[in-house]
Amino acid sequence: MIEVKSAVKRFDGFAALDGASLTVPAGSVYGLVGPNGAGKSTVIRCLTGVYRQDEGAVQIGGADVWENAALKARVAAIPDDWYYFLQATVRDMMRFYRGFYPSFSMERYEKLKEVFSIDEKKTIRRLSKGMQKQVAFWLALSCMPDYLILDEPVDGLDPVMRRQVWSLVMGDVAQRGTTVLVSSHNLRELEDVCDHVGIMDHGKVLLERSLAQLQDNMVKLQVVFPDGMTEVPAELPVLHASRIGRIHTLIMRMNAEEATAKLSTYNPLLVDAVPLTLEEIFIYELGGADYAVKDIVL
Amino acid sequence: MNWEVRTMRSKISFFNGTLFRKNLTRFWPLWGGASFLGALFPLALWLNISRGDSFYQRTPLEYTSAYYSILTEIVPIICLLYAILCAMAVWSYLYNARSVGMLHTLPIRREGLFAANFLSGMAMMLIPYAVTGALCVLVSVLYGNFEPAGLFTTILGVLGLSFFYFASATCVAFVTGNLLALPVLYFLLHFLAAALEWILTELASCFLVGVNAFYTGASDVLSPTIHFLRHLGVDRTYEEVERISSNGYHYTDSVLTAVRLENFWIIGVYALVGAALAAIALALYRRRRSESAGDVVAVGWMKPLFRYGLAATAALVGGRALYALFWEDSFQNGSYAEALPMAVCMAVAGVIGYYIASMLLAKSLKVFRGSWIGAGAVLVACAALCAVLRFDLLGIESRVPEAGTFTDVRLYAADNSYTLCTGEDDALISDVLALHRAVIHEAERLRDTSWRHETTEDGKLLYARTYMTLTYTLENGREVRRSYDLPLTKERMAEEGTYEQLLDQLVNQQVMKEKRLHLNDSRYTVSGGSLWRYTPDGAGDEGFDLNSREAKTILEAVGQDVQSGNWGDVTWFDSDRDSAYALELSLYFDRREENSRVPASDQISITVRPKMVHTLDCLDALGLIDRNELFTWGQLDAYNDAEVQYTEMAVPVEEMKR
Repeated sequence: MIEVKSAVKRFDGFAALDGASLTVPAGSVYGLVGPNGAGKSTVIRCLTGVYRQDEGAVQIGGADVWENAALKARVAAIPDDWYYFLQATVRDMMRFYRGFYPSFSMERYEKLKEVFSIDEKKTIRRLSKGMQKQVAFWLALSCMPDYLILDEPVDGLDPVMRRQVWSLVMGDVAQRGTTVLVSSHNLRELEDVCDHVGIMDHGKVLLERSLAQLQDNMVKLQVVFPDGMTEVPAELPVLHASRIGRIHTLIMRMNAEEATAKLSTYNPLLVDAVPLTLEEIFIYELGGADYAVKDIVL
Repeated sequence: MNWEVRTMRSKISFFNGTLFRKNLTRFWPLWGGASFLGALFPLALWLNISRGDSFYQRTPLEYTSAYYSILTEIVPIICLLYAILCAMAVWSYLYNARSVGMLHTLPIRREGLFAANFLSGMAMMLIPYAVTGALCVLVSVLYGNFEPAGLFTTILGVLGLSFFYFASATCVAFVTGNLLALPVLYFLLHFLAAALEWILTELASCFLVGVNAFYTGASDVLSPTIHFLRHLGVDRTYEEVERISSNGYHYTDSVLTAVRLENFWIIGVYALVGAALAAIALALYRRRRSESAGDVVAVGWMKPLFRYGLAATAALVGGRALYALFWEDSFQNGSYAEALPMAVCMAVAGVIGYYIASMLLAKSLKVFRGSWIGAGAVLVACAALCAVLRFDLLGIESRVPEAGTFTDVRLYAADNSYTLCTGEDDALISDVLALHRAVIHEAERLRDTSWRHETTEDGKLLYARTYMTLTYTLENGREVRRSYDLPLTKERMAEEGTYEQLLDQLVNQQVMKEKRLHLNDSRYTVSGGSLWRYTPDGAGDEGFDLNSREAKTILEAVGQDVQSGNWGDVTWFDSDRDSAYALELSLYFDRREENSRVPASDQISITVRPKMVHTLDCLDALGLIDRNELFTWGQLDAYNDAEVQYTEMAVPVEEMKR
């Protein structure tokens, strides 16, 4: 289990983390989402031992991460700007990682060579951004980590390779019980792989739930009110409302049954509950936190 | 296998061999290049010996002497320069957010990273020395000149120096978060104390009479390279041996009989300091924030120190430069400064320095809001410093050490130096103190330096001029040094209590003449000398190196002239051009005394005049001069003037002789 408890991290007085808390259950895939500058990368750097939090606790498997070499040997991380030595080839970097990670598996490294099809004698600097990302996955997965921490992991990968990479990660989760924390802006993709989601903003985790709970907590309804009723009743707890012709689309923070029951008092001609995508949940949750798409006319 | 068992393996420890090897393979051009350059020297040595060059065919003791010379004179400078390159290589990951992120994500504690990087840096420091040293040993073994004791001492010295310099560079590496700032801070810290001493005394010399910009070395312990170069030395003992050349000439040769490294223990002390610096570096690393990558100063509490330190340096250096630019006709012309313009110049430069430091720290140009208090503090400090110096509020200008508070005083006056020791020369010291007080009494008169250019109606300078320096060695070992540029007049020389009269009385005492020659002082032995003889057309100019026996014979002759009153009177208002022979006679002395601060050597220049019969007889007897071929400086001047005026009519030498 990965746990961040009331973590605070300040940079020159600015709190990049302002009491953030999150819990990643063991063996789960946790998607960390949030707007730019929300503090996602800072959480990840605290979890990988790069930053030390000013307050609070950052733990993996019940132990503090900071300067815990034994624990870090079980954690592999791929930052959004993965670093490699200037003249290093894939093989050089493999030797380097193998010298640090006791669990590094040459068997897996050789198997993954077939998957990624990259010349391991080629200088990494000469590879494309997407291929460099593949190298990062190749080496991280060869470390046989119990915990995998990924920051924007599939940026720059083509659709086929994205699927390939996620398939490898999911395979590790299924077979080895690897716990994965992934930060991404690609909510569509996260929706497919995550079973838990945390939404961050302004250095705090606003909410974290399983994806099922999250989807159950908010509902999108398409409603047609009776004749003469052109506006949505003000007393309805609606997060967002829009209208095309007579069809009103309402977003409400409750489950579908509850929302249908509330609407039934207005005798609607049509009520249809539609499941929300993660992207919609993200947008409407953060809309409440004063982060919404603004209608600005230029 | 569970993870506890797996992580018990040796890969997680306080040292990581992979990182060590990676550093060596990544940065091989650095140590490889240095090794190549170093290897050129033994290669050249081998080629020269094999070619039969007698210069390189030395005894083992002479090889030891050469090793020691390299250790004391060259290794400190090489280490100073090379250590920062190695430190920049191995610690470069600290200065980039991506690289520091990767290294700190790895399963190794910072102690482990520190140990692996430090040891790899040290290996990079030592590999070139090892290559060069091994080749040197090989060459000396091949030619039978191998001397293990000297070599072992040199290796120890190289190890100590390399460790100290690399540790100091490492310590600085953890102070900053910027790769470019690292060498700047490193060199600044290595020479800060010496530079500050010079800058402060230079500024003080602008206001205070008697204070000159000079480097005493009092703080050179904080500037290790200067300390090494000043205090590490090689003591060589030579024996004079009479030899006969192949064509039958007798000559004196010096044979090296013993070599000893002086103050070798200093390297040991600095190696211990290096260990302390490495420990400080590790402590800084353990507390270091990875996010400081890119910051000029990575340690929070050092930021104000940097801001005000840079402001102070800018005020002292920049302020002095601005003053020279706007108020002085030439830099360091010896005149004294005006306090108000100097304060303005220093304040301007100081505030600029303050804001530059603030911008570097903030990595932004927008630092002006809310910073006026700091800038104001810099302004006030500059004004206060100028006021303190101008009005001598610290009593520096007026300070004359009390008798008994110093162990000796060295007086330089009338082109001669004298060392007077408390307990041995108390009466003379009393005269020196009276002279010093008389000079200080007239400090305001001396502050006005216009006398240097005052002339009579026929264009001659109104004042004779002499320089006097007093250096007191205090009981605590520190030195107080004052230098004065003194105007002299015959009227004041005759006036009771003036510094002119006191100086004349002091220097022209019989005992002072004897002191000049170290007569009757068993601590001094005359070690040699030189004589240059000049002739009008230059054709007969000749120089001689005097061995110790010749020098001793000449000294005895000069001593007889002192006793008969024919040598030693300082004439303040004559130029000696007509009354002195065109000879430059110098005698060198060695002083052997343990734990003495008095210089271990001394030299005296002796003006030879016609009435110095004993000296002239002696020089004649030694075959150094021909009494009939001597000219005065005045005669040489006349010949040269004539040659300038009648370039096509050479004045015959015979005519000059007549």
